[in-house]
Amino acid sequence: MAKRIRKSADEAEIDMTPMLDVTFIMLIFFIVTASFTKESGIDLTQSNNDTPLNQQNNKNVSIVIDINGNSEVIMEGRSIDARSVQANVQRLKAENPEANVVVRAAQAAQAQVMVTVVDQARLAGVSGVIISELIER
Amino acid sequence: MANQKFSDRKKEEAEIDMTPMLDVTFIMLIFFIVTASFVKESGITVERPEASTGEKQQRAAVLVAVAEDGSVHMDNQTVDIRAVRANVEKLLSENPQGTVVIQADKRAKAGDVISVMNQIKAAGAEGTAIATVEN
Repeated sequence: MAKRIRKSADEAEIDMTPMLDVTFIMLIFFIVTASFTKESGIDLTQSNNDTPLNQQNNKNVSIVIDINGNSEVIMEGRSIDARSVQANVQRLKAENPEANVVVRAAQAAQAQVMVTVVDQARLAGVSGVIISELIER
Repeated sequence: MANQKFSDRKKEEAEIDMTPMLDVTFIMLIFFIVTASFVKESGITVERPEASTGEKQQRAAVLVAVAEDGSVHMDNQTVDIRAVRANVEKLLSENPQGTVVIQADKRAKAGDVISVMNQIKAAGAEGTAIATVEN
Protein backbone atom coordinates (compact mmCIF):
# COMPACT_ATOMS: atom_id res chain seq x y z
CA MET A 1 0.00 0.00 0.00
CA ALA A 2 2.67 2.38 0.97
CA LYS A 3 4.61 1.42 -2.09
CA ARG A 4 1.75 2.28 -4.38
CA ILE A 5 1.27 5.72 -2.96
CA ARG A 6 4.94 6.45 -3.32
CA LYS A 7 4.88 5.42 -6.94
CA SER A 8 2.00 7.65 -7.93
CA ALA A 9 3.66 10.51 -6.22
CA ASP A 10 6.62 10.02 -8.56
CA GLU A 11 6.32 11.06 -12.15
CA ALA A 12 4.33 8.34 -13.92
CA GLU A 13 6.56 6.57 -16.43
CA ILE A 14 6.11 3.59 -18.74
CA ASP A 15 9.05 1.51 -19.81
CA MET A 16 9.18 2.03 -23.55
CA THR A 17 12.12 -0.28 -24.24
CA PRO A 18 10.20 -3.43 -25.40
CA MET A 19 8.00 -1.39 -27.71
CA LEU A 20 11.08 0.32 -29.11
CA ASP A 21 12.70 -3.05 -29.75
CA VAL A 22 9.67 -4.31 -31.63
CA THR A 23 9.43 -1.09 -33.62
CA PHE A 24 13.07 -1.27 -34.64
CA ILE A 25 12.79 -4.88 -35.72
CA MET A 26 9.73 -4.04 -37.83
CA LEU A 27 11.53 -1.05 -39.30
CA ILE A 28 14.56 -3.12 -40.26
CA PHE A 29 12.33 -5.83 -41.76
CA PHE A 30 10.46 -3.37 -43.94
CA ILE A 31 13.66 -1.60 -45.00
CA VAL A 32 15.23 -4.90 -46.03
CA THR A 33 12.17 -6.16 -47.93
CA ALA A 34 11.43 -2.82 -49.60
CA SER A 35 11.73 -3.03 -53.36
CA PHE A 36 11.04 0.06 -55.33
CA THR A 37 10.79 -1.60 -58.72
CA LYS A 38 8.13 0.21 -60.63
CA GLU A 39 8.03 -1.55 -63.94
CA SER A 40 6.81 0.46 -66.88
CA GLY A 41 5.18 -1.46 -69.66
CA ILE A 42 2.48 -1.92 -72.26
CA ASP A 43 -0.73 -3.46 -71.07
CA LEU A 44 -1.70 -6.54 -73.02
CA THR A 45 -5.00 -7.07 -71.26
CA GLN A 46 -8.01 -6.67 -73.44
CA SER A 47 -10.55 -4.27 -72.05
CA ASN A 48 -13.68 -6.31 -72.43
CA ASN A 49 -16.21 -3.93 -70.94
CA ASP A 50 -14.77 -0.93 -72.75
CA THR A 51 -17.30 -0.45 -75.54
CA PRO A 52 -19.83 -3.25 -75.34
CA LEU A 53 -22.05 -1.62 -77.95
CA ASN A 54 -19.38 -1.34 -80.56
CA GLN A 55 -18.22 -4.86 -80.13
CA GLN A 56 -21.45 -6.19 -81.54
CA ASN A 57 -20.87 -4.34 -84.78
CA ASN A 58 -17.27 -5.19 -85.42
CA LYS A 59 -17.75 -8.81 -86.33
CA ASN A 60 -15.02 -10.08 -88.63
CA VAL A 61 -13.54 -6.64 -89.09
CA SER A 62 -10.00 -6.43 -87.92
CA ILE A 63 -6.78 -4.84 -88.99
CA VAL A 64 -4.24 -7.65 -89.26
CA ILE A 65 -0.54 -6.94 -88.92
CA ASP A 66 1.76 -9.89 -89.54
CA ILE A 67 5.36 -10.19 -88.43
CA ASN A 68 7.19 -12.98 -90.24
CA GLY A 69 10.17 -15.03 -89.11
CA ASN A 70 12.61 -12.45 -90.48
CA SER A 71 10.98 -9.76 -88.32
CA GLU A 72 9.46 -8.07 -91.37
CA VAL A 73 6.14 -6.33 -90.82
CA ILE A 74 3.49 -7.21 -93.36
CA MET A 75 0.26 -5.29 -93.66
CA GLU A 76 -2.26 -5.87 -96.43
CA GLY A 77 0.20 -8.05 -98.27
CA ARG A 78 2.96 -5.44 -98.35
CA SER A 79 6.15 -5.44 -96.35
CA ILE A 80 6.32 -2.15 -94.48
CA ASP A 81 8.60 -0.47 -91.98
CA ALA A 82 7.71 -1.12 -88.33
CA ARG A 83 7.61 2.61 -87.66
CA SER A 84 5.02 3.25 -90.36
CA VAL A 85 2.49 0.98 -88.69
CA GLN A 86 0.98 3.95 -86.87
CA ALA A 87 0.10 5.76 -90.12
CA ASN A 88 -1.29 2.60 -91.70
CA VAL A 89 -3.41 1.72 -88.67
CA GLN A 90 -4.71 5.28 -88.51
CA ARG A 91 -5.70 5.13 -92.19
CA LEU A 92 -7.50 1.79 -91.80
CA LYS A 93 -9.07 2.98 -88.58
CA ALA A 94 -10.49 6.00 -90.39
CA GLU A 95 -12.11 3.69 -92.92
CA ASN A 96 -13.43 1.39 -90.24
CA PRO A 97 -13.52 2.98 -86.79
CA GLU A 98 -14.80 -0.15 -85.05
CA ALA A 99 -12.08 -2.47 -86.30
CA ASN A 100 -9.80 -4.05 -83.77
CA VAL A 101 -6.13 -4.68 -84.34
CA VAL A 102 -4.64 -8.16 -84.44
CA VAL A 103 -0.88 -8.60 -84.39
CA ARG A 104 0.28 -12.02 -85.53
CA ALA A 105 3.92 -12.69 -84.81
CA ALA A 106 5.90 -15.66 -86.12
CA GLN A 107 7.73 -17.83 -83.62
CA ALA A 108 11.16 -16.63 -84.74
CA ALA A 109 10.33 -12.90 -84.90
CA GLN A 110 12.14 -10.55 -82.54
CA ALA A 111 10.30 -9.40 -79.44
CA GLN A 112 11.44 -5.83 -80.10
CA VAL A 113 9.62 -5.76 -83.46
CA MET A 114 6.46 -7.12 -81.86
CA VAL A 115 6.58 -4.51 -79.11
CA THR A 116 7.25 -1.76 -81.66
CA VAL A 117 4.22 -2.80 -83.70
CA VAL A 118 1.97 -2.91 -80.63
CA ASP A 119 3.38 0.44 -79.53
CA GLN A 120 2.66 1.94 -82.95
CA ALA A 121 -0.90 0.61 -82.86
CA ARG A 122 -1.33 2.19 -79.43
CA LEU A 123 0.02 5.47 -80.78
CA ALA A 124 -2.68 5.23 -83.44
CA GLY A 125 -5.24 5.12 -80.67
CA VAL A 126 -5.91 1.39 -80.38
CA SER A 127 -5.51 0.25 -76.79
CA GLY A 128 -6.67 -3.35 -76.87
CA VAL A 129 -4.35 -4.97 -79.35
CA ILE A 130 -4.83 -8.71 -79.77
CA ILE A 131 -1.58 -10.65 -80.09
CA SER A 132 -1.53 -14.13 -81.53
CA GLU A 133 0.96 -16.46 -83.08
CA LEU A 134 1.44 -16.58 -86.84
CA ILE A 135 1.76 -20.10 -88.16
CA GLU A 136 3.95 -19.91 -91.23
CA ARG A 137 3.64 -22.40 -94.03
CA MET B 1 25.90 28.94 -11.21
CA ALA B 2 26.22 26.70 -14.19
CA ASN B 3 28.25 24.34 -12.14
CA GLN B 4 25.50 24.07 -9.61
CA LYS B 5 23.01 23.03 -12.31
CA PHE B 6 25.39 20.50 -13.76
CA SER B 7 26.02 18.75 -10.46
CA ASP B 8 22.27 18.71 -9.84
CA ARG B 9 21.76 16.86 -13.06
CA LYS B 10 24.52 14.43 -12.33
CA LYS B 11 22.86 13.47 -9.10
CA GLU B 12 19.68 12.46 -10.90
CA GLU B 13 19.56 9.42 -13.11
CA ALA B 14 20.98 10.31 -16.50
CA GLU B 15 18.20 10.29 -19.07
CA ILE B 16 17.96 11.17 -22.76
CA ASP B 17 14.70 12.36 -24.23
CA MET B 18 13.87 9.65 -26.73
CA THR B 19 10.68 11.23 -28.06
CA PRO B 20 12.09 12.85 -31.25
CA MET B 21 13.93 9.69 -32.20
CA LEU B 22 10.76 7.68 -31.60
CA ASP B 23 8.82 10.06 -33.83
CA VAL B 24 11.32 9.68 -36.65
CA THR B 25 11.39 5.90 -36.25
CA PHE B 26 7.62 5.65 -36.40
CA ILE B 27 7.41 7.84 -39.48
CA MET B 28 10.04 5.67 -41.20
CA LEU B 29 8.20 2.53 -40.14
CA ILE B 30 4.90 3.78 -41.52
CA PHE B 31 6.59 4.86 -44.75
CA PHE B 32 8.14 1.46 -45.32
CA ILE B 33 4.92 -0.39 -44.42
CA VAL B 34 2.95 1.71 -46.88
CA THR B 35 5.47 1.36 -49.72
CA ALA B 36 6.05 -2.37 -49.16
CA SER B 37 4.97 -4.18 -52.29
CA PHE B 38 6.46 -7.69 -52.09
CA VAL B 39 6.97 -8.06 -55.83
CA LYS B 40 8.14 -11.48 -56.95
CA GLU B 41 11.23 -10.56 -58.92
CA SER B 42 12.31 -12.63 -61.89
CA GLY B 43 15.94 -12.68 -60.85
CA ILE B 44 17.64 -11.69 -64.10
CA THR B 45 18.17 -8.42 -65.92
CA VAL B 46 17.00 -8.22 -69.49
CA GLU B 47 17.37 -5.59 -72.16
CA ARG B 48 13.83 -4.33 -72.43
CA PRO B 49 12.33 -3.46 -75.80
CA GLU B 50 11.70 0.20 -76.49
CA ALA B 51 8.23 1.68 -76.70
CA SER B 52 6.79 5.13 -76.25
CA THR B 53 3.37 4.26 -74.83
CA GLY B 54 4.54 2.37 -71.75
CA GLU B 55 2.61 3.03 -68.55
CA LYS B 56 3.71 2.52 -64.98
CA GLN B 57 2.51 -0.85 -63.78
CA GLN B 58 1.20 -0.04 -60.33
CA ARG B 59 -0.06 -3.44 -59.20
CA ALA B 60 2.65 -5.68 -60.59
CA ALA B 61 2.96 -8.72 -58.33
CA VAL B 62 4.86 -11.25 -60.41
CA LEU B 63 7.62 -10.62 -62.92
CA VAL B 64 8.35 -13.25 -65.58
CA ALA B 65 11.52 -12.79 -67.62
CA VAL B 66 12.12 -14.26 -71.07
CA ALA B 67 15.84 -14.16 -71.77
CA GLU B 68 17.53 -13.79 -75.13
CA ASP B 69 18.14 -17.55 -75.35
CA GLY B 70 14.48 -18.30 -74.66
CA SER B 71 14.89 -19.40 -71.06
CA VAL B 72 12.14 -18.30 -68.70
CA HIS B 73 12.96 -16.97 -65.24
CA MET B 74 10.61 -16.20 -62.39
CA ASP B 75 10.90 -15.93 -58.62
CA ASN B 76 14.72 -16.17 -58.90
CA GLN B 77 14.64 -19.54 -60.66
CA THR B 78 14.73 -20.81 -64.21
CA VAL B 79 11.49 -22.54 -65.10
CA ASP B 80 10.48 -24.60 -68.08
CA ILE B 81 8.42 -22.62 -70.58
CA ARG B 82 5.60 -25.17 -70.20
CA ALA B 83 5.57 -24.76 -66.43
CA VAL B 84 4.92 -21.01 -66.48
CA ARG B 85 1.20 -21.40 -65.92
CA ALA B 86 1.55 -23.50 -62.77
CA ASN B 87 4.22 -21.18 -61.36
CA VAL B 88 2.21 -18.05 -62.06
CA GLU B 89 -0.84 -19.62 -60.42
CA LYS B 90 1.23 -20.46 -57.35
CA LEU B 91 2.74 -16.98 -57.02
CA LEU B 92 -0.55 -15.23 -57.75
CA SER B 93 -2.30 -17.11 -54.99
CA GLU B 94 -0.42 -14.89 -52.54
CA ASN B 95 -1.63 -11.73 -54.26
CA PRO B 96 -4.68 -12.45 -56.43
CA GLN B 97 -5.27 -8.78 -57.29
CA GLY B 98 -1.79 -8.32 -58.72
CA THR B 99 -0.87 -8.21 -62.37
CA VAL B 100 1.88 -10.11 -64.16
CA VAL B 101 4.60 -8.29 -66.08
CA ILE B 102 6.61 -10.07 -68.77
CA GLN B 103 10.18 -8.86 -69.00
CA ALA B 104 11.11 -9.96 -72.50
CA ASP B 105 14.57 -9.36 -73.87
CA LYS B 106 14.41 -7.29 -77.03
CA ARG B 107 16.17 -10.08 -78.95
CA ALA B 108 14.00 -12.86 -77.52
CA LYS B 109 11.74 -14.76 -79.89
CA ALA B 110 8.20 -13.46 -80.19
CA GLY B 111 6.91 -17.03 -80.13
CA ASP B 112 8.31 -17.59 -76.64
CA VAL B 113 6.82 -14.32 -75.42
CA ILE B 114 3.40 -15.19 -76.85
CA SER B 115 3.57 -18.65 -75.32
CA VAL B 116 4.35 -17.16 -71.90
CA MET B 117 1.60 -14.58 -72.38
CA ASN B 118 -1.00 -17.21 -73.22
CA GLN B 119 -0.06 -19.24 -70.16
CA ILE B 120 -0.31 -16.20 -67.90
CA LYS B 121 -3.79 -15.54 -69.28
CA ALA B 122 -4.69 -19.17 -68.69
CA ALA B 123 -3.46 -18.84 -65.10
CA GLY B 124 -6.17 -16.24 -64.56
CA ALA B 125 -4.06 -13.13 -63.99
CA GLU B 126 -5.95 -9.88 -63.52
CA GLY B 127 -3.78 -8.24 -66.12
CA THR B 128 -0.71 -8.83 -68.21
CA ALA B 129 1.82 -6.32 -69.42
CA ILE B 130 5.11 -6.40 -71.25
CA ALA B 131 7.92 -4.38 -69.72
CA THR B 132 9.37 -1.65 -71.91
CA VAL B 133 11.71 1.32 -71.69
CA GLU B 134 10.98 4.77 -72.96
CA ASN B 135 12.70 5.44 -76.26
